[in-house]
Amino acid sequence: MAVTRRGRSTRLLVVGLVAASLLTITADYRGGSAGPLEIAGRTTLTVVGSMQDAVTKVFHPFGDFFSGLVRIGSLEASNRRLVQELNDALSQNGRAAYLETEVTQLQGLLHMRQTLQLVGVGANVIGQSISNFEWTITIDQGQSGGIRVGMPVVAGAGLVGHVVETGLTTSVVQLLIDPNSAVAGRLLATGDTGLVVGDRNQDLQMNLVSPSARVTPNEQVVTAGFQGSLYPAGLLIGFVSREYTDPQSLSKIVSVRPAVDFSSLQFVLVLTKNTSNGGPGPTPRPSASGAPSTGPSPTPAPSPSG
Amino acid sequence: MVAFSSGRGPFRVRAGRLPPVRRAIVWAAVVLTALLLQSTVFAQIQLVGAKPDLVFLVTIVLAYLEGPSSGALGGFVGGMAEDFLLNQPKGITALTLTLLGYAVGALRQYIASPSPLLPVAVVGAGTVVGEVFFGLVSFLLGQNVGSFAFVLRVALLAGVYNAVLTPFLFPVIRRVVESSRAKAYRW
Repeated sequence: MAVTRRGRSTRLLVVGLVAASLLTITADYRGGSAGPLEIAGRTTLTVVGSMQDAVTKVFHPFGDFFSGLVRIGSLEASNRRLVQELNDALSQNGRAAYLETEVTQLQGLLHMRQTLQLVGVGANVIGQSISNFEWTITIDQGQSGGIRVGMPVVAGAGLVGHVVETGLTTSVVQLLIDPNSAVAGRLLATGDTGLVVGDRNQDLQMNLVSPSARVTPNEQVVTAGFQGSLYPAGLLIGFVSREYTDPQSLSKIVSVRPAVDFSSLQFVLVLTKNTSNGGPGPTPRPSASGAPSTGPSPTPAPSPSG
Repeated sequence: MVAFSSGRGPFRVRAGRLPPVRRAIVWAAVVLTALLLQSTVFAQIQLVGAKPDLVFLVTIVLAYLEGPSSGALGGFVGGMAEDFLLNQPKGITALTLTLLGYAVGALRQYIASPSPLLPVAVVGAGTVVGEVFFGLVSFLLGQNVGSFAFVLRVALLAGVYNAVLTPFLFPVIRRVVESSRAKAYRW
């Protein structure tokens, strides 16, 4: 008798909990970003984030040790490559400095607005996604530091992703390699554009590239920075690793090796002021007169109709 | 209060009142520790690109030790906590772990093997089944989880990783469970 009663109450409990789960899924699915669940999520993020910070500070050396141990062979190779690249970069530096002054002078002459003026908040990476189906990092800057959802995030090597959730003192950044991430990219040499989509632990996929586009291996891919896009133009996304044509499709697909090593990110910069286009930053959208555009603008200034 | 100054004899029944609160606190601490370790230390020590899922591990061990109702409740709480740290419809992990905790707890009654490897096998198999279920529900809700082969690969790797961690974490969790259960009688 007692056993049946216990069995029944267990089943009742499970049914109740399953119903609660389903209710939460439905409420969250419909509520979007304004429901009470979002507030609860933000609170969890703030609480857990502050503790993550402490744990990361303690355990980071251990994690570095283990990941270093696993990758010792590739580290040696990459060290050699880096020394080589550093030498190349040093030799190019002088030339770049000369070009920079030239560009500054020319821009002054043209009264052109600087397209790539990055203003941002530096942040430490304090955690990564707990899921195997999501590629995000947690950083130690949040709403109190002026971070808002949608802001682009960069590291020294290039674009990292954008902010998808903010707590009071921590934020979650969706990485470029997340399958839900999509960025308008531009092949630097030819100027052809495409949509760079994350493909988990593989290279990024640049879709919708014109089939006539000429693609060279190791060519740089940068953000296109279309009007209204989250990202300013000219941020390095990665390098072309290979290209292939889908016979059933009218466009070309280009594989892009990300410039940033997402497994060992430590410091990032959140771009709070997006100057090249009207991004999500707190600054008002700059007047359209300075924006570089190709061809005549199809949208005239809105006029009151009546 | 009297009940807790001496927990023997007739007071035993009343002494059982505090444990639910105590256990809730202990379990909240265990889940929080699992989430913190998972997002910091184990996120860096990956097995061929896959992370372990410590909340799955904790739920399965709890269900294994305590039975279906504790498993379902612990799974629901742990899953909900994990959901609030993810950027997808909240409640999917809670649903997965509620059912997983109940299933492991219910099946446990039919397994009578004294082998010390049993928890390892249960955690490994439970994690694989749970992750596949999670992937399936996410897919049905329109989440981009990738191909079935990818989901299966992640599930198997996470299962292996969890199974490898079980011999180290199982004794710790068992100790926590038993201390939160037996404290009232010892006084």
